[in-house]
Amino acid sequence: MFEWEKLGRIYCPYDFENRSDWMFEFAQAPCTLIFDDFVRVYFGCRPKRDANGQYVTYSAYADLNKTNLFKIERFSNKPVLKLGNFGCFDEFGTYPLSVIRRDNEVWGYYAGWTRCISVPFNVGIGLAISKNNGETFEKLGEGPVIPYSLYEPFTISGPKIRKFGDVFYLFYVAGNQWVVVNGKPEISHKIRVAYSKDGINWNKLNKDLIPDRWGENESQASPDVFFANGIYHMFFCGWVPSSFRVTKNRQIGYAFSKDLNNWTRDDSKVGITTSASGWDSEMVAYPHVFEIEKTIYLLYIGNEVGRYGFGLAKLNGNL
Amino acid sequence: MKWKKLGKIFDPTKHVWKENFMGYAQSPQAIVFDDFVRIYFSIRNQDNIGTFISHIQFVDFNKNLKTIINISNHEVVRPGNLGCFDEHGIFPINVLRYNDIILGYTNGWSRRISVSVETAIGIVISKDLGFTFERLGDGPILSATTNEPFLVGDPFVKVIDGIFHMWYIFGIGWKKHSDSAQPDRIYKISHAISYNGIEWNKEEGKQIINDKLNEDECQALPTVIYFKNKYHMFFCYRSAFDFRKNKDNAYRLGYAYSNDIKNWTRDDSQVGIDVSKDGWDSDMLCYPHVFELNRKIYLLYNGNEFGKYGFGLAVLEM
Repeated sequence: MFEWEKLGRIYCPYDFENRSDWMFEFAQAPCTLIFDDFVRVYFGCRPKRDANGQYVTYSAYADLNKTNLFKIERFSNKPVLKLGNFGCFDEFGTYPLSVIRRDNEVWGYYAGWTRCISVPFNVGIGLAISKNNGETFEKLGEGPVIPYSLYEPFTISGPKIRKFGDVFYLFYVAGNQWVVVNGKPEISHKIRVAYSKDGINWNKLNKDLIPDRWGENESQASPDVFFANGIYHMFFCGWVPSSFRVTKNRQIGYAFSKDLNNWTRDDSKVGITTSASGWDSEMVAYPHVFEIEKTIYLLYIGNEVGRYGFGLAKLNGNL
Repeated sequence: MKWKKLGKIFDPTKHVWKENFMGYAQSPQAIVFDDFVRIYFSIRNQDNIGTFISHIQFVDFNKNLKTIINISNHEVVRPGNLGCFDEHGIFPINVLRYNDIILGYTNGWSRRISVSVETAIGIVISKDLGFTFERLGDGPILSATTNEPFLVGDPFVKVIDGIFHMWYIFGIGWKKHSDSAQPDRIYKISHAISYNGIEWNKEEGKQIINDKLNEDECQALPTVIYFKNKYHMFFCYRSAFDFRKNKDNAYRLGYAYSNDIKNWTRDDSQVGIDVSKDGWDSDMLCYPHVFELNRKIYLLYNGNEFGKYGFGLAVLEM
């Protein structure tokens, strides 16, 4: 089993009384962009609910001091991505964001959210490019770069962009069923992968990578892949649609692969779970693994899907 | 070109349906069999919240195209699943023979909150001569992408020299005519190709037919036929706004031709058909479908009220 040492919470929105209205609530699905002297953490945030009780979601960042990751040096002063135009796939949300450097640019893959009648939302993955070191991103176009498709009929979400060798890999989730629980549709989505040479044209594998373990129709999310010691390690999270509104529980899972296509799930190795009390007592979710100065860290969110922010754990030993 | 109108040949309100269909027989599209012609169309009912849902039905005509010999009255394509692109109906369906099967390219509708709908193109397959169709998958084969951000629909597919060609439409904007109005959509005709009919390469945001009215012109339902050494495209077009009640802004048929499939010249002066002085197609002409039968070229189309009371037929006078 891996040994993740919880170091505590880095950011809780309620600790910042003067925070901007557009980042009033939540801090979801963190991902990093590492600079020479700071670590930029992108996360999803929300203004208060609108008059109809609806949320929109933006992506923001917090820059952390590189030698003390609990010291927030600055926040983005506006959303790094605009919401989509009228009728577009990303009209009501542009999160989570996953970034990768390409020469002098930073390419960001993000989930765009729209609202539907019979189900609450649909989601596609868009591409936006930053020419100012990830300060802000401009969309490649108004539509999604990874849309829903024949064998992935809806809710294409949770992108995690990686490059191994000459190939870009996009790990993401694709909806396979809206499960009706107590009369309400709850999404069940599974971890998938697509490949690309140029980051724009993608080929989907069209296969679930990770078998269910938590429960029937479990929903999987945040497939965060990290290469270490000759093996690809995936940390992800998930929940069970039929019960999570009651249990409020989300957990982190683990799988490994030698070829990026075939994954062996082994949650017994994951080495991190909910705490007995505190901000992550019900949920540990949306993992992101990164490395600084040969130390491997895990960012994750806690209770109520990140309403109370994100925290950090450190790996003792090796992956 | 000159079309001779043969009149309305089918009215869905004059037939008894097992389902609670309330009219409409939109976008008639034909497949010719040895001894009859099957014409698919989209008919509507209302769901439990009162919104329209389009369903596929068909009517079989004797090859004189006058005598009805059979009406489907069964579920030809089952409704789309919860949350899918075609959950709120299929309109239209484009059908073509391919080896031993019949392929159906569907325009699926799903309802949204800020705008009224989104559409995408799906594929269904029939192994029983078009009596019923099954989905290949629950999702679409063409949908919104980077440079075609919404409303991909109205497929028309032809296999030419072993390559699948699709003409279809994509949305370029949702606009409000006035502050109080509901947003209306604007869409244009484009082209995609495929080597297997399933995986497609779109030209991504390339409008292939010039506007005639203005940049907000809505172009829909292309249908393409080859004769006299040319490809001929018929389609319908209208103003973006005030097009439902105002006959001057309503759908008319447009025409373009091409020698190479790629480059199209619009020339509506050659379309050869217009609204009638009175009767079922006096306000509107829409959803054309051109096909060949007994060495004649026929045009199926809808008239007033977008085909609420059925479709008609015209024959090309060569």
